[in-house]
Amino acid sequence: MGNKKNELTKIVGSSNVFDDPAILENYSKDSSFCSPMIPRLLVKVNNVNEVQKIVKWANKTNTPLIPVSSGPPHYKGDTVASVPEAVIIDLSGMKKIISINCQHRICIVEPGVTYGELQKALAKEGLTLSTSMAPRATKSVITSILEAEPRLNGLSQWEFFDPLRCMEVVWGDGNRMFTGEAAQGPLDLEKQWASQKWQVAGNGPFSTDFFRMLTMSQGTMGIVAWASLKCEILPTIHKMFFVPAQRPEQLNDFVRRVVRLRFSDELMVVNGFYLASLLGENAKEVKQLKAELPAWVALVGILGRKLLPEERLESQQLDIADIAQQFGLRMTPSLPGISGEKVLNKLINPSDEKCWKETAKGAFEDIFFLTTLDKTTMFIHMAHMMAEKAGYPASDIGVYIQPKHRGSCYHLEFNLPYNPDCTKSTQTAKDFFKKASKEFSDMGAYFSRPYGIWSRLQLNKDAQSTMILKDLKGIFDPNNIMNPGKLAV
Amino acid sequence: MALDKEKYQAFEDIVGKRNISQDPGVLETYRCIAQQSSAHYGPYVDHMTPLPQAVILPGSTEEVQNIIKLCNKYKIQFKASTTFWSAMGFIGSDYAVQIDMRRMKYLEIDEKNQMAIIEPHAIGAVVQAEAMKVGLNLNVPGVGCSSSVLASTSGWVGFGPSSYFMGCAGENLLGAEWVLPDGRIMRTGSLGAGAGWFCGEGPGPSARGIARGFAGSAGTMGICCRLAIRLHPWPGPANFPTEGTIPAYRAVLPDNFKTYTLCFPSWDAYAQAFNLFFENQDILYLGHRQFNMFGRDAKGAMVNILTDPDKQFCDLPELMKDPYIKKQTELMKIDIQVVIAGMTKRNMEYKEKAIDKILELTGGWKNEMMLKPEIVNWVLMYLLRLGHKNLNYTFCGAYEGNYGMSPNHFVTAPLMEEASEIKDKWAKKYTSIADTGGDSDMGSISIIGGGGATGWEFFVNFDAYDKDSIKGTKEFIDSTQEWMFKKGLGVDMGRWNADLRKSDGKNYSQEEHDAMYIKMPQPMFLTYNWKIRNVFNPNNLTGSYYRTLTPEKLKTD
Repeated sequence: MGNKKNELTKIVGSSNVFDDPAILENYSKDSSFCSPMIPRLLVKVNNVNEVQKIVKWANKTNTPLIPVSSGPPHYKGDTVASVPEAVIIDLSGMKKIISINCQHRICIVEPGVTYGELQKALAKEGLTLSTSMAPRATKSVITSILEAEPRLNGLSQWEFFDPLRCMEVVWGDGNRMFTGEAAQGPLDLEKQWASQKWQVAGNGPFSTDFFRMLTMSQGTMGIVAWASLKCEILPTIHKMFFVPAQRPEQLNDFVRRVVRLRFSDELMVVNGFYLASLLGENAKEVKQLKAELPAWVALVGILGRKLLPEERLESQQLDIADIAQQFGLRMTPSLPGISGEKVLNKLINPSDEKCWKETAKGAFEDIFFLTTLDKTTMFIHMAHMMAEKAGYPASDIGVYIQPKHRGSCYHLEFNLPYNPDCTKSTQTAKDFFKKASKEFSDMGAYFSRPYGIWSRLQLNKDAQSTMILKDLKGIFDPNNIMNPGKLAV
Repeated sequence: MALDKEKYQAFEDIVGKRNISQDPGVLETYRCIAQQSSAHYGPYVDHMTPLPQAVILPGSTEEVQNIIKLCNKYKIQFKASTTFWSAMGFIGSDYAVQIDMRRMKYLEIDEKNQMAIIEPHAIGAVVQAEAMKVGLNLNVPGVGCSSSVLASTSGWVGFGPSSYFMGCAGENLLGAEWVLPDGRIMRTGSLGAGAGWFCGEGPGPSARGIARGFAGSAGTMGICCRLAIRLHPWPGPANFPTEGTIPAYRAVLPDNFKTYTLCFPSWDAYAQAFNLFFENQDILYLGHRQFNMFGRDAKGAMVNILTDPDKQFCDLPELMKDPYIKKQTELMKIDIQVVIAGMTKRNMEYKEKAIDKILELTGGWKNEMMLKPEIVNWVLMYLLRLGHKNLNYTFCGAYEGNYGMSPNHFVTAPLMEEASEIKDKWAKKYTSIADTGGDSDMGSISIIGGGGATGWEFFVNFDAYDKDSIKGTKEFIDSTQEWMFKKGLGVDMGRWNADLRKSDGKNYSQEEHDAMYIKMPQPMFLTYNWKIRNVFNPNNLTGSYYRTLTPEKLKTD
């Protein structure tokens, strides 16, 4: 390994290669239930040339590479090596916001750029980027989008992976190229801009969607050096409304109708505990809020941009309120003691470095998958039944339902908080996580992002798809150096 | 090489006697004039696609799979098509079978989940009619409503007038069942997981990426047998109302549907208006510069002919002199047709206000003539159903999409007058193309959902039965391509397929593709296509519409 360290030092310099056991220990595990594995080295990169050299070197030396773009803590097990002798390739130092084109509303960012950094830069240009719910401060924008984390504006996603457009990638075999329309110009962004090409269309080139080889791949196919992202005009007015209910199924027809008529800019359903976890500053507050908040609530965001902002907001507000009434519900601008503004600010702005889901009990595990709206209630009932059986407090399960891809499918998330200092609490949560994952899978949950134990649950359902995935991996990463062991391939 | 009796029998065993043919008369109907793109009777009218060895009509995914396995066993090329809109659906080799998918026409509308599950021969009009019964609609792409929805979704590009509101076909693609060229069945996303049709992505990387990118793979990555598409709101009646006399069929829709021809004082204002529509993505139901396909000088008169069953094409010269029509035509020199659809009364009011505001900000106006009720109702029928593809051929019996220019409207719009002038001069100097007033540019406000990239092309009308007209049109198109290269506009839309089938109707060889593609700015991606083909199409049986570059040709450090 000393030899490997020397070789990596030649590429990135001695100050960017680490073998200190204390540092490596941090990368050997995360906050999920995944098995720990200590990597051999950590290497920090600053540009795509270094990335390419390292990937080529890894191919020659048969060294597993684990790309990591977000800062710690990590939660899904995908940044922890599944095999020994791995090198962590840390891209969090690649922090350039390469360009912001207001005319086409396209920004280009490197993998280390976080939401806080990007939104600040975009706001100066009168733009914003859609976001996942309260992304943690160190979360890489690119990773969050590549891994298809649900976005609050799922109703604006014409393409499943919006706002992702073009990328530069170093594939597992060490080759480097652009994707989408950018692949049809020179391998030089400045030259492309000079001919008025702004990396707007992400599909292709031609009949192959190369970007789809990288999405939801957990770093198993290649390393992204930049991505172009579709931005939106910064709202001039933005409000959040609430539609409370006693049971989740009471909200289904309301949500379906709002989606059908293309109303709202943010739309999601959460249970009281989930909302309390988001809003509470500490465990006591979470507990208190949980007692006060409605059992279930649909969060409805409406905004106005430059063109007739008040008119748009008012028109939609009244129409959505009418829909709520049609289904025996009521839309309100606030909940007891909680304003729409407070919730909106929590939702769309980055949280602390630690994920807000840790506030309730100190640790958590999520189970999430895709399904259709009509099936969400069935899964929720099953979760509660199984929790009772497993001795896990059902009332502590947070639930989040987010329309994706314009409502074609729904992200259903169960948040399972537990006390990491209590062995029993941890073990109960772990057992419940495993059993519930298996049960949901059997019931038809679709784990599109198959982290950890879900990869086998999911990929075992269709041998042909798994074979095809293995074939694809063989094309782009023939020596299997990119995060080997993930996705069960 | 000919398909011998034993092999023919093997195919017949799969589909039955009634669903396979080697009758020369039948086979001859499965040939197409080789052209560069869609149904345009292009300059290569002398050449036809090859005669297939047999035509086979499968009835299920399992039959398709067995046919493909047999093709692999005997190394016979194959190509599937359903509504046969263009040359890309036809074979490119003398030793090939044509697979006609018209027996597979399953259609299911899932209202709750806003999707349709379709087989190849569910055409746009049928899917639309069924969807509208439950308040839904689909993106009918430019190919029109008589074509296979599955084909444009899986096999080609699939944008059209409604793509701004409903997305391009690729964006609407959910789960799909696809028989790969090696005979394996790929079920994408949630479908492979047995969870339903609602998602076409994953698990993990999305395998659909090998078969459907910006465009589909034109039948080269196997045969898509069934897929789901996302449907979109239709706030109109359950049955699309149709009245009038051919060809002036009209749709009288409720007040929550309006269509306007929006006009602008300059191309700069036009581009600014587009941006406002893109920034505010919920205003239009549809946006298309449609009737300019008849040309800047003739469009007003043509609209009057087509909306009045008593008028004929021979009335065109007189109508073009009519002072009112002449003035109105002049006023819609820089125009676009839009449809707005209110989901509620308030929503309609907001959309009307938004249109007016955009016109105010850009100095635009609504064309008065196009507000006449008989024209409004005809335009609604035309654009919402997209069933008037025959009108593309009205002038001379043939046309070619030309100057398919950059999707960046800020680049393209300022060049529009220069482009129009080139065409105008050519049309006045030579008789090979129709002289319709230079600007005959038409196309969609956006080729992607929500806007951001335009899809424009100049219509060049010519006589497909006149060699001089064909020759002159080819020269014109060559010259405009030169102009486009000079302006940095890239490859003309009409030439998108020029590298995929030779002018004699046959496939390109790998050597020919290598020689072409090595010159691309980033040829690397084509070597991955080569590897993908080698894995999923090891016998290379599906023709040359899949762009590949032999990896050894690319020297890397």
